[in-house]
Amino acid sequence: MGSRSIVSGLVGAAALALISAAAAHAQSAPPAGTVVDGSLKGKTLTFVSYGGIYQDGQVAALKEFVDKSGVKLLNDGPTEIAKLQAQVESGNVTWDVVDTDDFPPFVHCGKLFQKLDLTKLDVSHIPAGQVGECSVPAMNYGTVLMYKTATYKDNPPKDWKDFFDTKKFPGTRAIDGSGSPIGGLIEQAILADGGSVDNMTPADIDKGIAKIKAIGPDTIFWKTGAESQQLAESGEADMIIMWTGRAMTAVKNGAAYTPVWKDWLVVMDQLTIPVGAKDTDASYALINAYLGKKSQEVLTEQTSYSPINTEAQPKVDASVAAFLTNTPEHAKQGYQQNIKFWVANFAIASDKWTALMAGN
Amino acid sequence: MSQTSHTLAAGGDNPRPAGGVQGPQRRLRLAAYPSLLAMPALLLLIAAMGYPLLTVTLRSFSDPAWGMQNYVWFFSTPVNVTVLWRTFSIAAWVTIVCVIAAYPYAYLMTAVGPRMRLVLILCVLVPFWVSGVVRTLAWVILLQDSGIINSLIRLLGFDSVKLIRTQTGVVIGMAQVLLPFMILPLYSVMRGIDLRLVQAARSLGARPSLAFLQIYLPLSLPGVFAGAIIVFILSLGFYITPALLGGPRSTMLSTLVQSQVLSLLNWGRGGAMGVVLLVATFMLLALAAPLMRQRHKQASRS
Repeated sequence: MGSRSIVSGLVGAAALALISAAAAHAQSAPPAGTVVDGSLKGKTLTFVSYGGIYQDGQVAALKEFVDKSGVKLLNDGPTEIAKLQAQVESGNVTWDVVDTDDFPPFVHCGKLFQKLDLTKLDVSHIPAGQVGECSVPAMNYGTVLMYKTATYKDNPPKDWKDFFDTKKFPGTRAIDGSGSPIGGLIEQAILADGGSVDNMTPADIDKGIAKIKAIGPDTIFWKTGAESQQLAESGEADMIIMWTGRAMTAVKNGAAYTPVWKDWLVVMDQLTIPVGAKDTDASYALINAYLGKKSQEVLTEQTSYSPINTEAQPKVDASVAAFLTNTPEHAKQGYQQNIKFWVANFAIASDKWTALMAGN
Repeated sequence: MSQTSHTLAAGGDNPRPAGGVQGPQRRLRLAAYPSLLAMPALLLLIAAMGYPLLTVTLRSFSDPAWGMQNYVWFFSTPVNVTVLWRTFSIAAWVTIVCVIAAYPYAYLMTAVGPRMRLVLILCVLVPFWVSGVVRTLAWVILLQDSGIINSLIRLLGFDSVKLIRTQTGVVIGMAQVLLPFMILPLYSVMRGIDLRLVQAARSLGARPSLAFLQIYLPLSLPGVFAGAIIVFILSLGFYITPALLGGPRSTMLSTLVQSQVLSLLNWGRGGAMGVVLLVATFMLLALAAPLMRQRHKQASRS
């Protein structure tokens, strides 16, 4: 892949030398965060993400890019793959850079999302193993087990095994039921069931789901991040699986819950360029600016999600730092799900997960 | 009733076109094609309902390949059938709760003075103007285990009741959202009932309960049916309320459609689910229609 994409990158760069001066004189991309003054004057880019504090933070991270390049940045959202599909199929793609959750760029790589030309992006400071064929990470966060401090006092749950052990640790559980199957959780369920995740087959998915179902009929499947936060703040459940950003906010708001960091599930949002995007080079320029050290510091300071530039040193207060996933202590305890397996079995896993959500 | 139909007829005879000399001609044309009056609504329906519905139906047969595979999949997957059944049963419960809650309320609206009636109408309409999501979230706060209702129950010394994430919770939330659709048609029918008929029954020796059952209730049934059909059909498509107030055992079909289309991009399967729901609804209405007509006849005969 390397030499071919470099050649095509060079050809493309030569043709577009006037527009993106930076890409023209390099086999490698300009360092992440570089923005050429006035390079995108008169152009418009539509950036699509999930709204709320997260997208606000992303826009703040892109402020320097917008100011310097002269581009007009439009925001849209929330990201819906079905909408993107409709745009791609009708040949009228209005989205230029799209923030998605974990799996879509892998499931629809080349069909809905462009294969990325890494000669146009500086990916050297992205944490290892996070660059996909069609995506770079947009930020890192974790899915972490939060337990109600008062319920378990001296004998708190220590890992996922305890989460699935309702005899030793009675109490209501709340699980992320917001959408796609949580691959990492199913894997932990298989492990807790005494199985192995080394050579998973679709039959293992059934075992994992059965283990989750065995927690009992009182299990809560929350549908939105806001709902999970509400559950914690009102103390509705004894163990809640939460996104770190929401966990941080809930604790800040007074929820008396404690995180379990052992094997917290690594999750990331992805940045992608849709197939048929109007001005690919401008999209690349936006992403490359986004990956920069300073942008990532702004992003983390505004959102409490972890930066995806390893050099970034955001200034955050202690309550935010407690839930950052990239601190050395947290980073080494993270559990990376088998993305390849879940992408290959996405349809089967989704059907089974949906059935679990529908109480069947 | 007779009064309203009178004014309606008068309005129909009297289009009063503004165009002077050409007036009579235009009037003739409108009279010849009264269906023209329905054109704006019809065009809107075709553009906003007919075309998308056609696309959805077509895709259910053609996506990913031509054939019945999406329907075979629907009926061979147990969870779909369970959820379809559950969707109808929740809609039926919501309808029943709405009838029981709305009937006395609508009656009260006809019985009180104009000022009180305005207050009662506002009580129905104000929540109607508030977004459904906001109202549903309010129900979350009321119904949850540590919520106001359960705190009250515990304060009174009883065991707390599981309300949120149960079918009961979903029915309560949906009934509240849909109540105006039941109250308003009921009220408009009840307003037209001549209360002297009930007095006549009383004067002929009927006990109040009998007068109600034999005179008032049959006359108000058209309102009950109109409201019930609107509430039932709207319930079938509910998405936000069951998602927020329900648990896995109260998932409705729209949630499954959402996951097929939005996360799996299976437009064909999503379309098939929609078509099954639509056809099942039509079948149910077709079964219910003769029943209603019968009741009408009885009512007019008595």
